[in-house]
Amino acid sequence: MGYASKSPWVIHYDASSCNGCDIEVLAALCPGYDVERFGIINTGNPKHADIFLVTGSVNSRNIDVVKQIYDQMVEPKVVVACGICACTGGIFHDCYNVLGGVDKAIPVDVYAPGCAVRPEAIIDAVVQAIGILEEKSKALQAAKKGA
Amino acid sequence: MQLISFLILFPLIIAAVLLVAKGDMLRNVIVVASAIIIAAGSIVLAVQYLGAPWIGFEFESPIVDYIGTAIGVVIAAAVIAFGVKYKNYLAIALAVIQVVGSLVFELGFAHGASSRIGLYIDSLSIVMALIIGIIGSGICVYALGYMIDFQKHLDEHGEAEGLTELQRKDRRPEFFALMFLFLSAMYVIVFSNNMAWMFTGWEVTTLCSFLLIAYTRTEEAVNNAFRQIIMNILGGIGFLVALYLAVAFTGTLSLERFIAIGMMRPALVVVAVGALAFAGLTKAAQMPFHTWLLGAMVAPTPTSALLHSSTMVKAGVFLLIKLSPLFAVCIVPATMVVLVGGFTFMLCSFMAISQTNAKRVLAYSTIANLGLIVACAGVATPEAVWAATLLVIFHAAAKSLLFLCVGTAEHHIGSRDIEDMDLLFDRMPRLARFMMLGIMCMFIAPFGMLIAKWATLVSFVDSNQIILILLLAFGSAATFMFWAKWLGKLSGIAGSPENVELTVHPSEWVSLIIMACIAVVACVALPFVSNIFVEPYVVGVFGVLGRDVAVDNLWLSSILAIFVFAVLFGGIGASKKKRVGVYLAGVSVDSDTRTYRNSLSGESIATSRNMYLNSFFGEQKLRPVGEVLCSFIIVVALLASGIIPPVLFL
Amino acid sequence: MFITESFIFTLIGTVAFVVLAPIIGCFLAGLDRIISARMQGRVGPPLLQPYYDVRKLIAKDDVTVSGVDGVYMTCALVFTAFAGGIFFSGGNLLMSAFVITMAALFFIMAAYSSRSPYAELGAGRETVQVMAYEPMVLLMAVCFFMAAGSFNVGAIFNQPLPVICLTIPAFIGFLFILTIKLRKSPFDLSTSHHAHQELVRGTTTEMSGKTLAKVEVMHWCETVLFLGWTGMFFIWGTPLSIILGVVVALAAWFFEIWIDNNFARVKWQAMLKWAWIVALVCGGINIVILAFI
Repeated sequence: MGYASKSPWVIHYDASSCNGCDIEVLAALCPGYDVERFGIINTGNPKHADIFLVTGSVNSRNIDVVKQIYDQMVEPKVVVACGICACTGGIFHDCYNVLGGVDKAIPVDVYAPGCAVRPEAIIDAVVQAIGILEEKSKALQAAKKGA
Repeated sequence: MQLISFLILFPLIIAAVLLVAKGDMLRNVIVVASAIIIAAGSIVLAVQYLGAPWIGFEFESPIVDYIGTAIGVVIAAAVIAFGVKYKNYLAIALAVIQVVGSLVFELGFAHGASSRIGLYIDSLSIVMALIIGIIGSGICVYALGYMIDFQKHLDEHGEAEGLTELQRKDRRPEFFALMFLFLSAMYVIVFSNNMAWMFTGWEVTTLCSFLLIAYTRTEEAVNNAFRQIIMNILGGIGFLVALYLAVAFTGTLSLERFIAIGMMRPALVVVAVGALAFAGLTKAAQMPFHTWLLGAMVAPTPTSALLHSSTMVKAGVFLLIKLSPLFAVCIVPATMVVLVGGFTFMLCSFMAISQTNAKRVLAYSTIANLGLIVACAGVATPEAVWAATLLVIFHAAAKSLLFLCVGTAEHHIGSRDIEDMDLLFDRMPRLARFMMLGIMCMFIAPFGMLIAKWATLVSFVDSNQIILILLLAFGSAATFMFWAKWLGKLSGIAGSPENVELTVHPSEWVSLIIMACIAVVACVALPFVSNIFVEPYVVGVFGVLGRDVAVDNLWLSSILAIFVFAVLFGGIGASKKKRVGVYLAGVSVDSDTRTYRNSLSGESIATSRNMYLNSFFGEQKLRPVGEVLCSFIIVVALLASGIIPPVLFL
Repeated sequence: MFITESFIFTLIGTVAFVVLAPIIGCFLAGLDRIISARMQGRVGPPLLQPYYDVRKLIAKDDVTVSGVDGVYMTCALVFTAFAGGIFFSGGNLLMSAFVITMAALFFIMAAYSSRSPYAELGAGRETVQVMAYEPMVLLMAVCFFMAAGSFNVGAIFNQPLPVICLTIPAFIGFLFILTIKLRKSPFDLSTSHHAHQELVRGTTTEMSGKTLAKVEVMHWCETVLFLGWTGMFFIWGTPLSIILGVVVALAAWFFEIWIDNNFARVKWQAMLKWAWIVALVCGGINIVILAFI
């Protein structure tokens, strides 16, 4: 296991969620679930984060913001779509302004459906994301060495 | 002896020549050549007398005495003439008092009193001579390019800005003549053992700075010039009183004899020392007289640089350091000097925090630093004098560099506001580095300033100056704040805006580089500077060096200094890393200009200003406190030193 | 005139500090996070979590906003190392304090260089923080000097009694500003170890990868140095007293964690005012006492 998997720092962005999933994301940090056990920290700063947790669907208003946050994250990075809205648009999918899931804006690595998504599911998704992060990290190291 | 006379007379002749020399080309040649000659002369002098103890030169001449008196009359006449023209009656009154006083002194009271040894040299004079000769004449060279831009601006925009014909006139011959006259007068001050001659030099610097401050002849400039001359003539009158007392009580005009007699019988000289200290405080722009130095900012930048770094204010602290052995025995004047210096240091450091105008920040920091030097001189222990002398050196080098940088920046970015110096690192990369160097030399480890501060602390502790320790602790914390935020503003980098430093005059670069080199050498060669220049003086005066200031710490500073300079000029170049934009919590439109898309899909620019902490350190709050406090200290101390001796005699 | 024995000591001390301080500091930082978590009813991360974090940061891609922040942070690290070396080799306390301030300055410049509004604001607050604690640091050093007769830290081993016997007020004042120096709540104004503050991450907002790793390592070294300052008060002629010094330092550090977890952040005005009042009262009283006994 590399170090990328031992210290996954997340940034959480609420695209257009009803706040249900957001509360669950924060609940994961609280004593009941205590994700810091796995070294997970909610940084609130894309430049520091490794994992991008998005809740809610992407609409024409916030798509640029989602893209920007993703761009500002430093490689290696992974994206987790938290909740069904983030995965597909959910019950808002045919709203006049909703474009769909987060994958309409940026590449998503892990989908964690649910309405609202349960903390266990978030943790599961993050653990999966950590695996992908690890692979990306190795690829980056290899590219660095190659270059 | 010949060399000393040469250093005094040569700038004088050049001043006369410059007054009549017309044309930029001719002036450039004369100024550069004579600056080199003066600097070389000073260096030769320093090499010749390196580490020498006090050496006096027998030189007594009634003719010189009369010339001195005549100069005094001319100065008074000039002041009175200006006073009449601009209707400033206080200045006239003071000038009259002074000229009458000095005429009575020379022709009546002290007629014949003199000093067998007219000139002298010791390590402190050498230090001062180097500062005047290298930094002072370097500033003159800088002024060449600067004044061309300055005059060009007047010619092109002066009329539009509503300046009168008089204010727009090309007065550069006069300007350069005054600069060199200034240098000559400074040499007189640092080499004269005859206090009457020293007084003449003292008054000439007062008049020179008056004329230089009033250079533009705008209402503000003239007002500030009068403020300067009123305060400094007050100090001059103090000097004159001291001359009277010296002749009356010690029967000599020799500075050396005066100090020697004073050391043995303090009661004889205490009033004279008080009066001289008062003169020193006015010239060193200590509170409540600090406003003249702030007002001097209206003058062209080379003037400010000259006044702040190598001349004028340095004359004040030079006198106080010279008097330091007497402060050890004259408690009342010493207390006055220590307290005024200490409070000035702290309060002016505080007020510097609240300033956005770079020149004002520099002015306040000058006053604060002088306060520290003054306080050290008053503490009068070997360590304190060691520290004071080092502070004089570092302050001269770093401050001249900073003023010249600000002057050049002002001409090229059109502002002297620190907030406008944002991105200077991109726009004027070389200049910004010089400016950062100057700032670093001014206040932080591992540079000389800091070592000096440390010696100051040691001597304050040894002499139980509790108030001073507290003043120093809080004052230097404030120093960190105002320099660090300026440094921060300079260090900002974004993309690559247009480089505007390509049009800087070569003469400006040359003197900037010279100043930077001096600052770097002084920091890196700190152990040598201390060993060669400062320690001989301290040993010469006190017989001992005082507590060992730990040579290995000096070396450590030197090593760290080299490291910082290497980083500053070698390390912070182009980076190979991938460049990304700043995070603006939303969608950035252009991260170099910090433009982002706002909630109405329009564009907003994120701006941020430094903290100026006006509610804590505003001028309106602190200035009255300082003025009242320091005036009170001075008045009480002068009264006390006037009352105590008669009591002692009875 | 030239290189002396103590100068060599300083260099050796610096090398030793460079090797040991990050290790000790890293453990302390890990412990800090576990203790904080326990105080909040959580389990907390593994002990070596700070080490994992830094290793991960080093492996991240190299990007930069200004291109120079990494260089400035290297300077900050070097100066921190020297400050530690000077102190732990028994060198000059005042010099150590000044050099660590220099490190703070380079950290501030690194933050400013990005021109991020958040980082600039954080850097501005950091300058206020330095200004807030600097008087007390200076007065603490002066009190040490008056009590031990020298600025040299090595002098404590010649003392018949620990320095603390004469410097209780100054020590209390120092504990107060220690919170600011360690950037612990309620004084974590410029940047915070805890998520979500109004300045994003303040000074470190624009730093990433290796540069951020340097910041972390600098914090570790700083912690060790400041705890060294704390322990210094309790050490005297007996070598065994070093144990007491270590115990007191750890107790002080636990106290700082407790404060960190129990107080909400204050505004800079309150911080400045209180830090200066404490410095004036504690430092002033102590100096008066030492001057007149």
